[in-house]
Amino acid sequence: MQNQRPKTILPGLDFATPKPRLNSMHTGWQRVRFISGVFILLAAAAMLIENLASATLDPLKSPKLAALKDKLRQNPADESVKQEIRQLDLQLRADYFGRLSRSGSGVYLLLGGGAVFVLAWSQCNRFEKKPPMPQPRTEPLDTAGIARTARWSAGVGGAAVTAVLLVLGLVTGKARTDSPVKDSQISGSQTPAASQAVSSEEELKRNWPRFRGQGGNGVSEAKNIPQSWDTKTGSGIAWKTPVPAPGFNSPVIWRGNFFISGGDAARREVFCYECSTGKLVWRQPVENVPGAPTKVPEVPETTGYAAPSVATDGQRVYAIFATGDVAAFTLEGKPVWSRSFGPLKNPYGHATSLLTWKDRLIVLLDQGESEDGKSKLYALDGRTGKTVWETPRKVGASWATPVTFEAAGEAQVVALAIPWAISYGLKDGVELWRVEGLNGEVTPSPAFAQGLVLVPSPSEKLFAIRPDGHGDVTKTQVAWSTEENVPDVTSPVGTGDLVFTLTTPGVLTCLEAKDGKKLWEHDFEMECHASPSIAEGRVYLFGQKGTAIITEAGRQFKELFRTEMPDMFHASPAFVDNTMILRGSTNLWGIVSPPK
Amino acid sequence: MRPDANESGLTAAGGPENRAARPRFNPTLSLSVLILLLISTVALAQQRFPPPDFESGHKLPLTTTPAGRAFIYEYVDVAVLAACIAISVFLIYRKRSRAGLVGLSLFSLAYFGFYRKGCVCAIGSVQNIALALFEPGYAVPVSVLAFFILPLAVSLFFGRSFCAGVCPHGALQDLVLLKPIKVPAWLEQALSTLPFIYLGAGVLLAGTGSAFLICQYDPFVPVFRLSGRALMVIAGVALLALGMFVGRPYCRFLCPYGALLKAGAMVSRWRVTVTPDNCTQCRLCETSCPFGALREPEEVQTTPSVLRQDRRRLAFLIALLPVLVLGCAWVGDFFSGAAAALNPTVSLADRLAAEKETPAKSGALSPDDLALDRARQNADEFLRNAEAIRKRITTGSRIFGGWVGLVIGLKLVGLSVHRRRKDYEPTPGDCLACARCFEFCPSELVRRGFPNGFASQPLDGSPLEPALK
Amino acid sequence: MSPPSSNPNNPSRRQFLKDGARIAAAAGLGGLMGSIAMRSSAMNTVWQIDPQKCVRCGNCATHCVLEQSAVKCVHAYAICGYCQLCTGYFEPEPNDLNTGAENCLCPTAAIKRTFVEDPYFEYTIDERLCIGCAKCVEGCNRFGNGSLFLQVRHDRCVNCNECAISKVCAGDAFRRVPANAPYLLKTTSHGL
Repeated sequence: MQNQRPKTILPGLDFATPKPRLNSMHTGWQRVRFISGVFILLAAAAMLIENLASATLDPLKSPKLAALKDKLRQNPADESVKQEIRQLDLQLRADYFGRLSRSGSGVYLLLGGGAVFVLAWSQCNRFEKKPPMPQPRTEPLDTAGIARTARWSAGVGGAAVTAVLLVLGLVTGKARTDSPVKDSQISGSQTPAASQAVSSEEELKRNWPRFRGQGGNGVSEAKNIPQSWDTKTGSGIAWKTPVPAPGFNSPVIWRGNFFISGGDAARREVFCYECSTGKLVWRQPVENVPGAPTKVPEVPETTGYAAPSVATDGQRVYAIFATGDVAAFTLEGKPVWSRSFGPLKNPYGHATSLLTWKDRLIVLLDQGESEDGKSKLYALDGRTGKTVWETPRKVGASWATPVTFEAAGEAQVVALAIPWAISYGLKDGVELWRVEGLNGEVTPSPAFAQGLVLVPSPSEKLFAIRPDGHGDVTKTQVAWSTEENVPDVTSPVGTGDLVFTLTTPGVLTCLEAKDGKKLWEHDFEMECHASPSIAEGRVYLFGQKGTAIITEAGRQFKELFRTEMPDMFHASPAFVDNTMILRGSTNLWGIVSPPK
Repeated sequence: MRPDANESGLTAAGGPENRAARPRFNPTLSLSVLILLLISTVALAQQRFPPPDFESGHKLPLTTTPAGRAFIYEYVDVAVLAACIAISVFLIYRKRSRAGLVGLSLFSLAYFGFYRKGCVCAIGSVQNIALALFEPGYAVPVSVLAFFILPLAVSLFFGRSFCAGVCPHGALQDLVLLKPIKVPAWLEQALSTLPFIYLGAGVLLAGTGSAFLICQYDPFVPVFRLSGRALMVIAGVALLALGMFVGRPYCRFLCPYGALLKAGAMVSRWRVTVTPDNCTQCRLCETSCPFGALREPEEVQTTPSVLRQDRRRLAFLIALLPVLVLGCAWVGDFFSGAAAALNPTVSLADRLAAEKETPAKSGALSPDDLALDRARQNADEFLRNAEAIRKRITTGSRIFGGWVGLVIGLKLVGLSVHRRRKDYEPTPGDCLACARCFEFCPSELVRRGFPNGFASQPLDGSPLEPALK
Repeated sequence: MSPPSSNPNNPSRRQFLKDGARIAAAAGLGGLMGSIAMRSSAMNTVWQIDPQKCVRCGNCATHCVLEQSAVKCVHAYAICGYCQLCTGYFEPEPNDLNTGAENCLCPTAAIKRTFVEDPYFEYTIDERLCIGCAKCVEGCNRFGNGSLFLQVRHDRCVNCNECAISKVCAGDAFRRVPANAPYLLKTTSHGL
């Protein structure tokens, strides 16, 4: 067979003479192959180009459309902008769905073209099929040589794969569990304070985590609260230290430290002091808050920039100012996050204090008039400051601080404003019930006592509401109401089966908790802005001019102690075991009783 | 107030004319409108906006839940698979029919490929099995288990019959193989380790719940689905274009399931032979295999000194095997970082650890920021969880590295062993049972009753009379 | 990589090795199958979004292997407030409460707003147009009842072995659910 074209390779087969009919079929298939090949290339190129073009410009995120919408926002009445938006919107959607349908049909064209191409080529192959013609070997097959090359290539290939793995590993960094950086971060996060993400109720009650203590009821469960002190002799006064910055907010206490805020139009700060010594532990400014308006709102001096008290959940301490800035710090004073809700529209300045629930920070921002629709109740994630839920409130500005409690199987938060006292579920901010009847400047905060929510309508009426209704429960769930000696600044406080109210002129009234019947009243004839508090069965009162009075929280009036202090009191006291922290206008006071 | 124009369909939906302003009242453009509604309808305020009681008796539409594919079709798929494998075995071993296999390939391509869109698939099932082995919470659907087991079990008896005409990936590549060229033996040998390495990587990443690498980088599933990530579509088309000249590149040099089948086929009970009759060593079939699986007879002609050298090499390579395994396991330890980065939990935990102290962003958040927020919700548990996964990945990476070393080492050992082959025969591991070689064998043609044996070939009786140029 | 046996004079030994290997492989395969079959489920699984975990990141629109995502917005009418100012339908501070493009949130005009009775409007999703971008879902969840939510639509989903969106889901909301209960529909608002 060598060097010689075989006439036959197998008996009976003749390869010599091509038939003309077959030839023309061959050319036909070749043409089909060529045409379909060109078709595929063109279709593929067209689809590729369209794909690339649309990838660079996502029609659904058109910057032009966004710009037009912005323009409309600035100029809401501009009909021509509206028309432009509509035109562009239609155009974009037509483009988008047009492309989708084009690529849908294009792919079928491509597939069909591909099938024809493959068919045509395999038909051509049949005409071009050559019989196998093995040539004699000049030398024997070098199997050993082939094996040697193969070994080398396999070895080199393996080395290359290993090198790629190594490089990939080195580039991304080894996932070592004992890497020092990661270890420290993890062990840092596993310190008891951090791993216990939510402080227990007992711990919250032992401390004083917010304005008027845990829950906001003005009742302390602390033991051995000071019963007497004297600024002249210094007995019972552990320390006093000047107030570092103006503010009407009350101190809150967590684990041996207490926190206050203060500031003015220029600078606002959060302070941490040691309870036992009054030493400043840290102070941190709240500044460069993302999204804060450049202009600080004007606030009357009677409220100031730091009227709201700070709050802590045992993990972080949170502060809000009349500017609308909310900031979170670790207990060690490290900034965690801050965000701005400003500018707040509030004629007297924002005064509602912060509170926490589990790992959430609850922020009540009642602003403007009810028609403005600006008022909202927020729950922020304490770790991040991100909104967990927010619920709009159809009310105007208010100054009372909400209370939290568990009742009727729900963790509730009750917020006051004209004309409603509304309870929301703390889980999701969904409204539970509401009672109508508030008037005036809603300043006194509610309190929760004996299963009833005590809601004062300033100088007008005190409602006691059963917190287990749904919807508008004004007619059904108000257990009792009284119009006698209703405060307009201070908040009510209840203990056992008694409720106490203190009016601004200094009338302390004791009511029966179950029906609101007045048991007694006593006029101290001193101006009071600080709310009465109860600790160990005693009512603590602080007059604006510096008079401090302790009475028995009983069915009969009995004054236990009275002293004059060289300070002015607007803020309410904070209590923990053996200690009471007071914020006056000039000094912070640490008052202790000897440990028993 | 009037109802809106009835909008439906693309053309009508919200064109400017339909979206035209039709002012009915003048709202204070804020949520206050909504809240007015709320207050007027507070009855059972469990939701922000309680569902209304319609006075007009309006009936609420039902939320539709279009069903997926009916459950019974899972079994239909398994039955079709079993039938296709049986037919494939029959066509290869009994009918010895290439035309039949082409027909079967076309059917498989249509059914498993374009109709079932390449999913459920034996290749991907490897990962489900790996995940089920290492993740106790994951249950493999029976159909997936069947897709994994059936072809593999058959390979122990009939070689790679599944590859021949049942696998849609193979069928697609087989059909586009139009002008085969021979891959040099050395390259072929080097590349043939890749499927095993890819298999190891696929099992590592699937078993640790990181990624289904094999599915993610499957080049042909986007072709079957007629859509997919642009990069993978291009890769698939490029591989098909390559496959016009290089026979079944994915099957031979990448397919991880093919690696398993290769192992099964190497010990299979029955093997594909060019002819069941005597090989006359006419060499006509020599170039018939486009997959480099057909080997020539080998006679070891060697001198004692060469033989001694060969034996020494073999001993050396066998001794090298544990060294290679350990060395590559060490490299695998390094690779664990890259493997862990593919795990969404671990990579998110890394970001969390890095950004733990920085305050969370507010405003419009990107998906990444939202994911970070989720991780922050329970940061410590998340980090601990990620750390456990990271440990598993590190162990897995070491094993994977060792596996790579083993594959390379065994390849080297295999290439150092002398084999003796009297006849032309397909190597059982590499043979894809495509039946191409059968028709090149004169003995086969005679056995089929030549010249009538050609009757099975179409084209009006004249294909074997092409012109010689 | 076959067993290194090279004694041509003893084909039966080779055959024996091969048979042994085959039996071992078959036994191994059987064992593997058995152990897997213990935890395999007769039912196939499909992918679905847990609406309580969804954080509306928008990845569903962009990461599905299909050109138009198989994830669509669906509406739980029973918990819808039928608001006139639907925060899923309208931009945050709409210019006007009408269907003009400048007021609408949906980029593809896939939400249809129909008047029911004063002051209620019904919102329905045209799935042919919905791309699963979750803009409306975010609006409805943040300010409304949360009656709009995302679901994988199984008439479109090709049920990938591993859902491409699930790997990038910011809320880790994707999971495999039994094919005979393929939807996780919302029946209460905000996970109550």
